[in-house]
Amino acid sequence: MFEREDDVVERVIQQLRRPVTIDPGLDARVMREIADAPRAKPRVWPLWSLLATAAVLGTLLITHPWTRADQSGPAAFQFVFVAPQAASVSLVGDFNDWDPNRSPMQTAQGVWATVVNLTPGRYRYAFLVNGVEWRADPGAPSAKDDEFGTPSSVVTVGGSGS
Amino acid sequence: MIIVALVLAAQVAVQDPRFERLDPDTRLAVVAMIDSARGDGLPVEPLIQRALEGATKGAAGARIVAAVRRLTVDLGTARTALGTNASGPELEAGVAALRAGATPQILTRLRTVRRPPLTMALSVVADLVASGVPADSAAAAVLALAPKARDADLVEFRRAVERDIALGAPPGAATSVRLNAGASDVYSQGAGPGAPQPRAHRP
Repeated sequence: MFEREDDVVERVIQQLRRPVTIDPGLDARVMREIADAPRAKPRVWPLWSLLATAAVLGTLLITHPWTRADQSGPAAFQFVFVAPQAASVSLVGDFNDWDPNRSPMQTAQGVWATVVNLTPGRYRYAFLVNGVEWRADPGAPSAKDDEFGTPSSVVTVGGSGS
Repeated sequence: MIIVALVLAAQVAVQDPRFERLDPDTRLAVVAMIDSARGDGLPVEPLIQRALEGATKGAAGARIVAAVRRLTVDLGTARTALGTNASGPELEAGVAALRAGATPQILTRLRTVRRPPLTMALSVVADLVASGVPADSAAAAVLALAPKARDADLVEFRRAVERDIALGAPPGAATSVRLNAGASDVYSQGAGPGAPQPRAHRP
């Protein structure tokens, strides 16, 4: 906070309150400087540079053709499961061949989590607790067509912005 | 040439180390079905995953074979409805929608009103039904949203309906209310909360 008793502060305030006088010829001088400045000449691209650009674009289109949106790259998905009493939890599903050893989850005070990269598609999955107990993800749609008698969940990765 | 390709594909299937998780009899039956599906131009990875799911869950061989056979038939039905250009993920999602109660005609209709990929739209139909929404209501809602909504908008619609159901709303009513509340307009603006996130997504 400023203290108005302070001499320094008081002097600064007085300086700021002094009216500023501007040279009446300033505007004219500025405009003259601008007018005298050398102007950039418009550049004309030579034919060879246009051809080179077209060649690069053509190469890109050939090597990276437009594809359907559901063939886009993988996106990171985080899976979280709360199981304070569990000794181990594995994420198992269509994305890891239903192999409990592929995606072991890490715990922090009973909250188990892991991140998996998924390409667009619909995946069934479940959590395997302590290597024996199958649990669905309470935060995801359930797979109603489970044919093996244990709960599963579903995650769908979209591939379009449409 | 085609026969050679099929023979090679069959050998690849037999040599796939993942099949070693199946007992010999089940493996033979599953590999035969997968070869047949491949010959019909169906995606085989969903069939492999279904067999592996059964193996990991300790299901009996007959049950695994039945599940793979049923999935093969349903993939064929989905392809008939969605067309031969449908991708593997679209066919899988189509199977989920069919099993949820959507008719093949609904799948075909969806194909006509929405640009591919249809994976998310089909999945949302299945997921809404799994939440308790009647199949015809779920299909009608997605068909109404499909022409303009982005995938993220459809996901947000599904989540909104699920939230309402969790709060006690009847599933069918929750779907209608969300749809009639101008959901299609709101979600089609691209300002929905389901915009792509730079960090890890949640299912």
